[in-house]
Amino acid sequence: MLSKLSKRIFPKSLWVYHCNSGACNGCDIEILNVLTPYYDIERFGMKLVASPRHADVMLISGAVTRPTLPIVKKAYDAMPHPKLVFGIGSCATGGGCWFDCYNVSGGADKAVPIDYYIPGCPPRPEAIIYGVALALGLVDKKVAPVELKQMEFPIDMYERNRAWEERNVIYELLKD
Amino acid sequence: MPAIDNILKQLNEKFSADIIGTETPNERRLFVDIKPDRVRDISNEMIVLGGRYMVSIGTDFSDVDGTMQLIHTFAFDNDNLLTGIRMSVPADNPAFMSITPDIPSAGWSEREYMDLLGMKFTDHPKPKRLILADDWPEGVYPLRKEVPWNLMPPGAEDVAYQLDECPEGCTVVPVGPYHPALHEPAHFAVYVDGETIKGCDYRGFMTHRGIEKLCQTQMTYNEVPFIAERICGICGSVHATAYSQAVESAAGIPVPRRAEYIRTIMLEIERIHSHLLWLGVAGHLIGFDTVFMQAWRVREHIMWLGERMTGNRKTYGMIVIGGVRRDITPELRDDILQVVNKIEKELKVIHKSIIGDTAIHKRTKGVGRITKEDAIRWSLVGPVARARGVDIDNRRDHPYAAYNDVTFDVPVFTEGDVWATLLVRVLELYESFSIIRQLLEKMPDGELLTELDAPIEPYRHGISVVEAPRGESVHYVITGKENTPERWRVRAPTYPNLQGIPLMMLNNQLADVPIIIGSIDPCFSCTDRVEVVDLQSGNCRVASKEELETLSRNYRDGR
Repeated sequence: MLSKLSKRIFPKSLWVYHCNSGACNGCDIEILNVLTPYYDIERFGMKLVASPRHADVMLISGAVTRPTLPIVKKAYDAMPHPKLVFGIGSCATGGGCWFDCYNVSGGADKAVPIDYYIPGCPPRPEAIIYGVALALGLVDKKVAPVELKQMEFPIDMYERNRAWEERNVIYELLKD
Repeated sequence: MPAIDNILKQLNEKFSADIIGTETPNERRLFVDIKPDRVRDISNEMIVLGGRYMVSIGTDFSDVDGTMQLIHTFAFDNDNLLTGIRMSVPADNPAFMSITPDIPSAGWSEREYMDLLGMKFTDHPKPKRLILADDWPEGVYPLRKEVPWNLMPPGAEDVAYQLDECPEGCTVVPVGPYHPALHEPAHFAVYVDGETIKGCDYRGFMTHRGIEKLCQTQMTYNEVPFIAERICGICGSVHATAYSQAVESAAGIPVPRRAEYIRTIMLEIERIHSHLLWLGVAGHLIGFDTVFMQAWRVREHIMWLGERMTGNRKTYGMIVIGGVRRDITPELRDDILQVVNKIEKELKVIHKSIIGDTAIHKRTKGVGRITKEDAIRWSLVGPVARARGVDIDNRRDHPYAAYNDVTFDVPVFTEGDVWATLLVRVLELYESFSIIRQLLEKMPDGELLTELDAPIEPYRHGISVVEAPRGESVHYVITGKENTPERWRVRAPTYPNLQGIPLMMLNNQLADVPIIIGSIDPCFSCTDRVEVVDLQSGNCRVASKEELETLSRNYRDGR
């Protein structure tokens, strides 16, 4: 539904603002990479802009750390409506491996509402382009929706061998 | 071991009463235990003997013997020797003498332990908060043993970082926290007189994620290399290699020769990718987008090669303690050679056009110039130091992995400006191509991994240096119980280089700020945009948004 809405409210070129909220640069260089000749996102009319005030879309990369939390919120507020927010990478998606460290607030959803997630560590440039194009309704979703049911949590990482193998089946595909 | 004997002799002559003991695990490491009272004199003596200050390591041993330990490390580049001077004080009153008045680059290390461990340093010239958030409450020190890794104290109210005093007659120009030229959140307050920079204060560490604490409490030895790769998305293999080498050095784990060769190839591939990335970003920062597009187009082949070799474009996950995870097959070997040849050919074209481009010359020559003496005094490392005539390169001075089997030149320039750092990086690329070819030719057969059968003994010290694309990465590991490092300290190359930034900026033009900052660190992007806040000269007054709007409207109306 959101993609249909996006198609209606963003009919023309999108301007993208990139906000690093505490990433390791892995996602940031892949975001820059989509501008370069092999991927060339500008052919879709997208352009990286310097100021959130000029932007339609915000790309957040990285777990939101404690000092950047208020700044990310400010940058989000500075964007004009309507606006879309993408969480790029595993850290923005859920905080990554430091989701509960002392200086980290968590994933990007702790700071601003996220519309689309593009996971990966780092996500490939193709994945970023595909995610943005999917959001705008330029391409169709290639995977069928699969519902997963969580069987047991938390997973004890330190259990070994048999116990681990037994517990390894944590997800069960729901029958239609 | 003439170097170690000489250093010990000199120290014993002057400070025999203050030295408690020494430890030499092998002929390239020296640890000296001293009494904390005369640390300043002993540190100065190490500098006089030819040492280069690297980093300090503070550790909380309150649960072991009720002390806090501080280690200052020095590198002797001419003698292939790394040394540490260790001292302990009771944990209830962790006060040390500051060595910053004599060694300015120790300033950040000491400020870090004021924040994280609650240490006190007498005579520190700038005892301000460095690492933790402004609203982090006083008296909670996250690296101490009793503080859990996931503690989230409620924020203190009405706190803000106090910037340095603005010099008389100057204006403050804030650069950051989100600035198009800075790829990461960091705040520079630049003090300008007209267009000329007269000073700079830095408030950064906004991407501090608490990796050291996480790994010391939650991770096991084998998991840390993968976390270490995520310290930096650009030089991930460097951190994984440096950590693994530090543990191997502490525990005496032998690494198979083939694994060392593969590690070296990964490091050099990463250097090629990082230098090409920097070249593009530097072109972007001075407004020359063609360089950006061309350099990144060439670089893309390395990313694809990385994917074919390891399965991921970045964050390779190749290096573990005791070896590597994947082999380089004969097909991959041909593939690497092909890609290297292709990139070398294309780089020559870019190199030629950069050398002849007057626009790049004008934007970079004479910008950010500092002298060799200042570069040594501030312990600058990597291409930034080599562009200032400091002839240090850990691949040659402290050979690790397979670097003692290959021959290569270390380009050094004496111009001391941004142009020289550009040249150093481009010339290093050619050396990297040559190193990869030599390695592939000489690569021996053998195992990829040493299996460990005995647990690693606790409380051993390991130190390792790796020449990252941006400079020297130092990792210090103190082994611990329960399969977890007791202390793991990472010092990335930007850590000392960023401390030299105020010096590089001094008396330069405001428009050159992005390229000066960019010259030390490849992680910058996008076009130049500086948010100028108007201040009355000599009297700091931040203009409000309304005032600026009125000002711009008046200007437009010709008033």
